[in-house]
Parts: sequence; structure tokens; C-alpha cells
Amino acid sequence: MNQRPSPAQLSLATCPACGLVCDDVQPKNLNCSKGVAFFQQASGDAQAKIKGKNVSLVEAVEAATKILKQSKQPLFSGLSTDIEGFRAIYHLAEKTNASLSHTNSTSIARNMRVLQSAGWQTTTLTEVKNRADLIVCIGTDIVTHNPRFFERFVWVKEAMFTDVNTREVVYLGGETLKKDEKTPARKAALVLPCRPEHLPEVLAVLHALVLGKSLKISEVAGIAIKDLEALAAKLKAAKYAVLAWVAKDLDFPHAELTILQITQTIAALNQATRAAGLPLGGSDGDTGVNYAHTWLSGLTLNAETPKQCDAQVWVNSFNAEKLPQKSSLPLIVLGNTNTHFEHEPDVFIPVATPGLDCSGTLFRVDGSVTLPLKKIRETQLPTLNEIVRQIEAKLS
Amino acid sequence: MITLLKNGKVIDPAQNKNGVVEDIYIRDGRIIAKPNAAEKINQTIDLAGKIVMAGAIDMHSHIGGGKVNIARMMLPEFQEAKKLSEPEAHICTPSCSHHATPSATDTGFRYIEMGYTAAFEPAMMPINARQTHLEMADTPMIDKGGYAMLGNDDYFLRMLTAKKDQKAINDYVAWILNATQAIGIKVVNPGGISAFKFNQRKLDLDENNAHYQVTPREILKSLSRAVHELGIAKPLHVHCNNLGAAGNFETTLNTMSASDGVPMHLTHIQFHSYGTEGDKKFSSAAAQISEALNKNKHITADVGQILFGQTVTASGDSMVQHLNSKHANPKKSVIMDIECDAGCGVVPFKYRDQNYVNALQWAIGLEIFLSVDDPWRIFLTTDHPNGAPFTCYPHLIRLLMDKSFRNNAFSKLSLDAQAMSNLANIDREYSLYEIATMTRAGAAKLIGLNDRGHLAVGAAADITIYADQADREAMFGKPAYVFKDGELVVKDGKVVKVTWGKTHTAKPAFDISVEKDLKEYFDKYHTIQLDNFKISNDEIAQDGRGAVVTHQHKQ
Repeated sequence: MNQRPSPAQLSLATCPACGLVCDDVQPKNLNCSKGVAFFQQASGDAQAKIKGKNVSLVEAVEAATKILKQSKQPLFSGLSTDIEGFRAIYHLAEKTNASLSHTNSTSIARNMRVLQSAGWQTTTLTEVKNRADLIVCIGTDIVTHNPRFFERFVWVKEAMFTDVNTREVVYLGGETLKKDEKTPARKAALVLPCRPEHLPEVLAVLHALVLGKSLKISEVAGIAIKDLEALAAKLKAAKYAVLAWVAKDLDFPHAELTILQITQTIAALNQATRAAGLPLGGSDGDTGVNYAHTWLSGLTLNAETPKQCDAQVWVNSFNAEKLPQKSSLPLIVLGNTNTHFEHEPDVFIPVATPGLDCSGTLFRVDGSVTLPLKKIRETQLPTLNEIVRQIEAKLS
Repeated sequence: MITLLKNGKVIDPAQNKNGVVEDIYIRDGRIIAKPNAAEKINQTIDLAGKIVMAGAIDMHSHIGGGKVNIARMMLPEFQEAKKLSEPEAHICTPSCSHHATPSATDTGFRYIEMGYTAAFEPAMMPINARQTHLEMADTPMIDKGGYAMLGNDDYFLRMLTAKKDQKAINDYVAWILNATQAIGIKVVNPGGISAFKFNQRKLDLDENNAHYQVTPREILKSLSRAVHELGIAKPLHVHCNNLGAAGNFETTLNTMSASDGVPMHLTHIQFHSYGTEGDKKFSSAAAQISEALNKNKHITADVGQILFGQTVTASGDSMVQHLNSKHANPKKSVIMDIECDAGCGVVPFKYRDQNYVNALQWAIGLEIFLSVDDPWRIFLTTDHPNGAPFTCYPHLIRLLMDKSFRNNAFSKLSLDAQAMSNLANIDREYSLYEIATMTRAGAAKLIGLNDRGHLAVGAAADITIYADQADREAMFGKPAYVFKDGELVVKDGKVVKVTWGKTHTAKPAFDISVEKDLKEYFDKYHTIQLDNFKISNDEIAQDGRGAVVTHQHKQ
């Protein structure tokens, strides 16, 4: 029972393309834009390069090591990798006095600031699937980030504790309210539109209404107060309301205060009924990298990229489209083999993509579930772990 | 290579040895009989005057997994308050801490520096087991293991409602042990975590979970019997209903009878020993609880002692922690419902000696320690980090071994609390032999680690050697030598070699057809594939660091 299945035994793959980490995937028959893009990645070669010129892996590792040895304070950025890859990178960073910055550091920090100032009350995807009778999508259509959210967790055949046919979805504010296309077939979703930057005042009003305060205004940011009163009443009447947000979509100054309005509304609701928050989104292994950084160091990832550094290591396992920030510093890329650079890095070492070229481990966006990624094809690409080990051997 | 530990005073309750001067020989990580004269002794350490015990085993400590990591995430101020300068004798990593939420790395170092060679995570949520094992794999030096949490998972509660027979329950429990790589089964607030999701705020032992129409008593009976019939050593690990509530001692007393004589372990029993006497309607029921423990030989317990200072409480008991969140200090908390499996609640807390309730909690824990007769059935824990960080163990040991030290501490408590406690009238002082029983032999026996917790020939060479000091806190805080699997890893309280330890599991046999119904359930209601729920051995043993050890069943 405690053996990993061999690639030949696999029927279903696990997809790291967004925070849902769907593990029911048949790569050639997938109804998800992000998943399709991930599994269609070409199986590139393992050719290492120095300033765009082909070199042996040994030469590339030597050149990378030389840059790290000369650097007093390197920056390891991107950090798009799984748990195994991040563990290796973390230990290399400790040895080289490096700072760490994930490609999603800014949006991770929006949630972490709320967790660290007030805490929160949240739920996870299986609870949503079986329990939620009201789902409020705040500032997001969700599907832009997590395309299969509604298919897998909302418009399901059967739930243990609620009638899926009477489930309600409300969209409250946001930039791209393209909405879940399957919703109308069930029940017209209530949409209360406003620009994302008006969410702070809209959510403050909703919070006040849930607390039972009466307000002497008739509208806020174009939304009628009576509509928000109706929403507050729905939240109070729900047996298990879920308030979802995607930190990346709350892209305005001090968005953490807006998330705090959501979590405080949830806290108020839980005095009498049950309600829970659901932070969604996620990509590039961000949840797991933040979690592993926390158990390895005791602290969450830093929000800000450090200003002072003298070399950059760009780690990017999953998505060839993502590129390092332009800079004049020496640049080492440990990255996806299909990356096309605008400016050739000093050293480029292609690494295996977990979930395609090698196995791995990834956290789902709800934080409680960790899933094995599976190797589904044979390539010559070394794992990030193997490259880091070779660099470490040369460092000492 | 043979190592000889010469002239030490051996305290090994598993072999009834209390201070006999003996030589111990180690080869290939094991204790061996005296080799013949022709064999070469490679290393000899003279331990004249020193105390030799097996490595200590913490049978209940929240060292890894979801809620522990949430506590770290929520409380960066704990890390910022760290003092890099102390204790002076250990390897500080760049992110070292000595507080309630140590990193995985620091957890391993702090334990081994105190002579602890194993710690067991007592609340491993099955759906979260992979994360727990990832964190434990990053915890160096010590052996580890986990107790899988059942009794609030919807699959099990549906089985109870459907009145499935005991064999079906046993198969499911065995399957969980195998799939999650656990060594025991725990139940937290039986039925209560589930009830909270249906908006129940309290659940008594004989009260129905409103949705499932089953009581905590039925859950305890079913699970304790399953664990017993499967033949694993570790009895069902029980966090009773009504944690922390004044008057909860009656629930605890009634819980002792819920298993019909089948062994059960009641964990952090201090938090479940409260009466309602006095002006403040909060009193010690340590006398009643201890008397019941002395009488009910099928029950074991660990104390969950509180010690004063800042810590964080991390529990699977979302129902009670939601209630406790109003006492959070600093004022923040995380409450979660998780995967139709369980839940969690993380609430920072500061225990103060001038606070009536906290002071009495401190006294109640010590009263229980000192009133339970049999050290084989009571265990030394602070429910790390809930009562205090595990790094306080040497202090706690001194409180148990040194009456004047204890009474001096007692005299500084809130006067109201002093007036309500009998502690100063208890004369008992624990002996080294009794401490070794609680922290070594008893713990190993309870969990089923047959080759640990003692120093007989054939045992794993996990050995801790102390200078015999009158100040027991100093003595237990800084061993002279610690051997882990035969290797010298700590000298004078300082780590001299980094090792990674093993993961202990129990994997009783079961009828594989249990997976048929499980797969249907997972496909219909869960959000991951059944196969991905199971943790492979090589996930734990990766990089050649860890290893899975499976223990034979108790016979």
C-alpha cells in the first residue's frame, strides 16, 4: 500500500497550474485552459547555456557556483517550484546568505498580514463542496484564477449536507466579472458590481450591516444599500456561508484592510451561525513555498524584494512564460526548458518540471491538502534538487 | 566499531535497575552483550558518578503539521523575540528560536539537547498527514511518529450512523493507520468538531451530534475497541469533550467508563480536571481525577502541565478553540473546518501566575502528577506548545522532584488560587527512577517501541547520560552525553553531529475490500483521489535521510 505507482500504472495526473492542484486529470482530455497549457509544454532539451552559448552541465554548474561565491548577498527569486525543490533552494540560500522572494510574494503578503494581525476563520474545498449553501465571490470571478472551481466544488452532482440545487452564488465587485459560465443553467447568480478599488467601502458597509447597524445612506460605490442589506440577510440565514477572495485581484494599496473586513464579517457571522473564509488563487507552488519556508525558518516569506543584492538566481520550474525582472546584476536561471529570454542570462540550467518530467509534492491553495505530483514522461532534464546539490558540492 | 560506556549508574525501570553501576557496550547502533576479550573496543567513555538512562520519549508533543505551522505563520513576533545568545550550548541555525513555535530544525535540536530521542505528534489529521510527515522529515536528530485523528471524519460518522459492524470499523481504522503512516489513533472532542460545523457549540459525552445522531460515548466505544482488536500497542488517545470548561471533571470521569474496560489514554488530563467550587466557580478536581486514575487500571494519562509565560494553543478542537478565541493573547486566532475530516483552532495564550484560573491550572497539573501512584500510567507532558513549550521539561522535572522548590513557586501564586489548592500539603518528591519510568520505559511501552526506552541487550542505543546534580533542572537541561542509534550526537548539552531519526508506524492487516466503498465515497464527496491520500514510504525516506520503521503488533 505504501509504494508509489510507477509511470506505467498511472491513469490520472496531478496538475500544478493553479492552486486547486486537480488530481483527476487526463492530460489529453482536459477542460481547463491552464491545465491544457501546462500539459502541452514541449519536452525540451537539457542543454545548459552560458550567455546563450551551449556548454556542458559541468561548465554551467561551475559558472553558477563562481557567481554565487563572488556574491555577498544574492537574491533567489521566482521560486516557482514544489516542496522538494524549495527545500533544496532554502538550504542553498542559507549557505550563500541569499534573500528569498517568490513571484507571488506581494499577494501572499496581503493574506499573511491579515493572519498575523487578527487571524481568521476559514474552510477548505471538500467542506465547500459538501456544506456551502451560499458562496460570495468577492472582487473576483474565481475562474480567471481557478478555472475548474465551480465544476469541481460547486455545481456537483451531490453534496453530503446541502442541496446543490438551492446553492446560491453571489459576485460582489471586481474587475473581470466574467462569471462562471455554468451558473445560469442552475440559477442566475446575483451580481453586485463595483470597481475593485471601491471594495474597501462596500465591504465596510456589508460588515456594518451584518453587525446590525443601520446606515443613513442609500448607496455605496453604485451598489444600493438595500441590495447589501439583502446580502447581509442571506449571510445570516445561511447554514454555511463561504466568502471567497483572491488576494491577487485585490490589487490596491492596503488591500489587507479589505481582506480584514471580510474576515471580521465572518467572525461576526460565526457568533450565531456558521460561515467561513476561503482564500483562493495560487500558482507557481506559492502556497507550499510559503508553508515550507515557515516550518524551515519559523517565518512566512518576506513581502518585499530586498533592495540590496549583487546577484540574482531565478528559479522557475512550472511556466515558461514567466521571465526574470530585467537587471544589470549577474543572473543565473534554474528554469523551465522552454523559456525564451529577452536577454540571455549569464547561466541557464534547464530543470525538470514537477508533474511532467519528475515527481514532486505540492500544496493546494486551501493549505490543508498536499498532493503528490507525478512523473508522466521521460526526459533528460535534471531535477532542481540535483542541480542545487551539484552547486553545493562545488561551493564547499 | 564498539563503544564502551564504563562505570555509569544505570537507571532502567524496564529492567528494574535503579542505580546499579554497569558497563554498556554499543555496536552498529545497538546495545550488545559484553564482547569476548579478543574483540577490539574502539572507544571508551568513563561515566563514573554519572547517571545513565535510555533516551527520553515525548509521547505527546505538537511538533508538526497544519496547526503547528499556522501557529508559526500567525506569530512572527515569537521569532523576533528570540535570543540568539541562549542557551549558550547548542548549534544555532540562522533562524534559531527557543519559543513556543520553533522551526522544524530547532525542534529537533532543542529535543536532543535535553536528551530526548523521540517525540510523537499526537494530532495528525489524516488528510493533512503528508504535510505532517514533510515537517517531521525536516526535524533532525530525533525519531518521530504520529497519531491519526479519527472520530470527527464524516466517513467514520456515517459508518456509525449506518450501524456498520465492528469488523468494518476495524478495517477502516487499520486502513487509516496504513495510509497515513501513523502509529496510533487519536480522537479529539469526539463528535464535537463535526458538530461545530453544524453549529453546535457544546457536546457532552451522552449528547447527540445533531446531524449523525451518535454520541461521543458511542464514538469512543467503537474506536477504542477497533484499536484494541487490531492489536496495536498504543491505546486510543483521547482528548475528552468539554476541554477547559469548569465542571468538566465529571465528563472525564464518565469517559473513563466509556470503553467498557478496553484500554484508553486520556491526554492532557489537567485541562479536563476542573470543578465548579468556590466564589469563582472554578476549582481543582485533581483529587477525584487522580483517585479514578488509581482505580481504573485500563486508563493511562498524560498531564499537559501549564507553566507561566507566553505560548500558543494549537488544537484540533475547533469547537472549544472558537470559544477560547476571546481570551487570545495577543488578540488573534485561526479557526478552521477541514476537508470533512476534522478541524483546528490556534489561539495564542499567556499563562500568568497572578491570574486565579491560570495559577490553579498550574497547581492542578502538579496535584495530579503527585497523586497518581503508578508512574507507568502517567506521563510527563506540557501538551507542547499548549501548556508550555517542551523546552520547559527540565523545570517541570524539578518541580516534581524538589518539594521546597515547588512550594516556593506555589507561594508566589495568586493568593486566591493558593487558598483553593492542596498542593503545599503534598510531600511526595519524584525519584530519578520514577522520572525515568514516566519519560522512558513507560512511554516506550505505551506506544509499542519495543527496542527503545530501555537499555537491555538488543535495544537501540538511544542513551542519555547526566551529571548527577542536586539542581534537577540544570541536570535535565544539559546532559553530558547523548547517543542516538549508537552515535554520539550531543556532548555537554551541545549537538556535535546532525542525524535525522526514523518514523515509527504500526500497520495492522486489514481487508483490502474496504477500499471499494472508500473509493466510491472519495469520488462522490471528496476532492482528491483515494490513491493520493496514501503516503508512500519513499515520501518519508527521501534523500536517504528518513526511514520508516513498522512495529509488530502487541500479542
